[in-house]
Amino acid sequence: MTDRTAELQRLWRARSRNRFAAGSAVVMVVLLLAVAATSGFAIGGGGERLRNLRRFVTAVVPYPLQGDAPFDVRVAIDWGLRLLRDHGIDAAARTVAIAVLAIVLAQIIATLCTLPAARNLARSEPLTPGVAPSPWWRAAAWRALVSVTRAVLTLLRAIPEYVWAFLFLAMLGANPWPAILALALHNAGILGRLGAEVVENVDPAAPAALRALGASRRQIAAFAVVPQTVPRMLLYFFYRFETCIREATVLGMLGIASLGSLIDDARVARRYDEMVVWVSLGAVLVLVIDALSVWARGAARGR
Amino acid sequence: MMARRVRGDRVGRRRVVALGVVAAAAWAAWYLDLRPGDAIPRGEHWVVLRDFFAEAVHPVLTATLRAELLRGLWNTVVFAASAMALALPLGIVLGFFASTAWWATDSGGDGARPTAARCVVCRLVFVAARSAIALFRSVHELLWAVLLLCALGNSPLSGVFAIAIPYGCTLGKVFAEVVDEVPREAAWALRGLGAAPLQVFCFGLLPRALADVTAYAFYRFECALRSAAVLGFFGFETIGYFLQQAFQTGSYGEAWTHLYALLALVGLFDWWSGALRRSFAR
Repeated sequence: MTDRTAELQRLWRARSRNRFAAGSAVVMVVLLLAVAATSGFAIGGGGERLRNLRRFVTAVVPYPLQGDAPFDVRVAIDWGLRLLRDHGIDAAARTVAIAVLAIVLAQIIATLCTLPAARNLARSEPLTPGVAPSPWWRAAAWRALVSVTRAVLTLLRAIPEYVWAFLFLAMLGANPWPAILALALHNAGILGRLGAEVVENVDPAAPAALRALGASRRQIAAFAVVPQTVPRMLLYFFYRFETCIREATVLGMLGIASLGSLIDDARVARRYDEMVVWVSLGAVLVLVIDALSVWARGAARGR
Repeated sequence: MMARRVRGDRVGRRRVVALGVVAAAAWAAWYLDLRPGDAIPRGEHWVVLRDFFAEAVHPVLTATLRAELLRGLWNTVVFAASAMALALPLGIVLGFFASTAWWATDSGGDGARPTAARCVVCRLVFVAARSAIALFRSVHELLWAVLLLCALGNSPLSGVFAIAIPYGCTLGKVFAEVVDEVPREAAWALRGLGAAPLQVFCFGLLPRALADVTAYAFYRFECALRSAAVLGFFGFETIGYFLQQAFQTGSYGEAWTHLYALLALVGLFDWWSGALRRSFAR
């Protein structure tokens, strides 16, 4: 019996511990408590909120059915279809178009940044262990290149798409470019970081073999590294494409023609019935693109 | 011969996907009637661009601005933390119901299969959880903000719920996927000893999923900070609010101060969640 207790205690002492994670959890709980203690969000004001909600619910009913009009499903469907035909389809297509161009541009920028951000490739002897160390200043230069590239990628993804788009809108005027560039830059930051990790995890056998045959750094990158990363990068590409669709809708609220601009116009005019239709159309678009992206990711994985 | 055909097929499908992407980009450029020239600022826009970036090296910091800056930073953290405090329990509950592991019919070969009626109920709960996740997640947090502002009126709670709803569903989706990928031996053993589904979930599956779940929750906190900052554009007093005001009044130096503050805040949490992931990988 005592043997078993001792054994249990030994196991308990030998459990894996992660002090950093435990400390992080404590700090996070303290932060949440501090926020709860100081923010003082009013849960009250329920009466007014309820009146607001009631007003909103009556305004969400399709316009031809508001007031004393008798409920008729056909009228509601006609109303919805006319909205779709007049504005909805075009806005949805524009949203998709912005997202597609943004993600393609993001992938191009990210691919250019991926190679100099990967520590195993961007050094004096790429992907070749056990060679004589090069002069210190060359090693330092390569390390600096990696650090600078990574800092740029961090900067790109730390600024939210919405802020990028807001800034670009003031500099480029109202055309699709601010939305495309904003999405492209933010996602280039994310895809570049993920890509660098993929490159750092490639199987070094093929690059080492090419190196032994005297291939240059660029040849190694083009023929032994990049081909290995393609399936993984395609997964990330479609994962970010889904996000781009969501964001392209939202960026329209700044005034770039997409679903978001319809949502904002309806909100300003207090046509909440239309607004809900546009938000729902955006949700359907996201669900469709998600399904498409799941299929494409399967194809990229080779299933 | 067989292996070659399988390989050829895979490359073929990948090529179809790549061609599809190129064709989609061509269609998009045509549909938007995109002119490369529009991407180059001219006239007054060029002046804005020049003045804005000229101020990048002169961020301003006066006493009033410092007060604004601190208020914006603190409010951003408050919105993000409050939203995550709601999203986490929501995500855990949804994740529990949306994972297949707790009601899975694979009994690990010990023959303790649940009854047919129970399977049907579980299946319904599972489908309901998955549908709720897909539905609420498909609306972006800023659209939730617009909807809730219209429905509930101007109150900070609208902003908190706007982030909490989609984030809770995303957390639920990821939690479910992580739990489902955990090796099931411990869960089978517990079920063989007669443990209830909740016990199997908490002691057989959750401990092995905890590292990934924690790392992802921290990453979402970082995303929540960005979302909270952007909520400022909708009238909540977070960093985005002050950034927008500074930019629109042409005080580019102040705008840069707020941008740098946002960068520092997000950078700090980026480092924190990254360090946490690395500590788990060790």
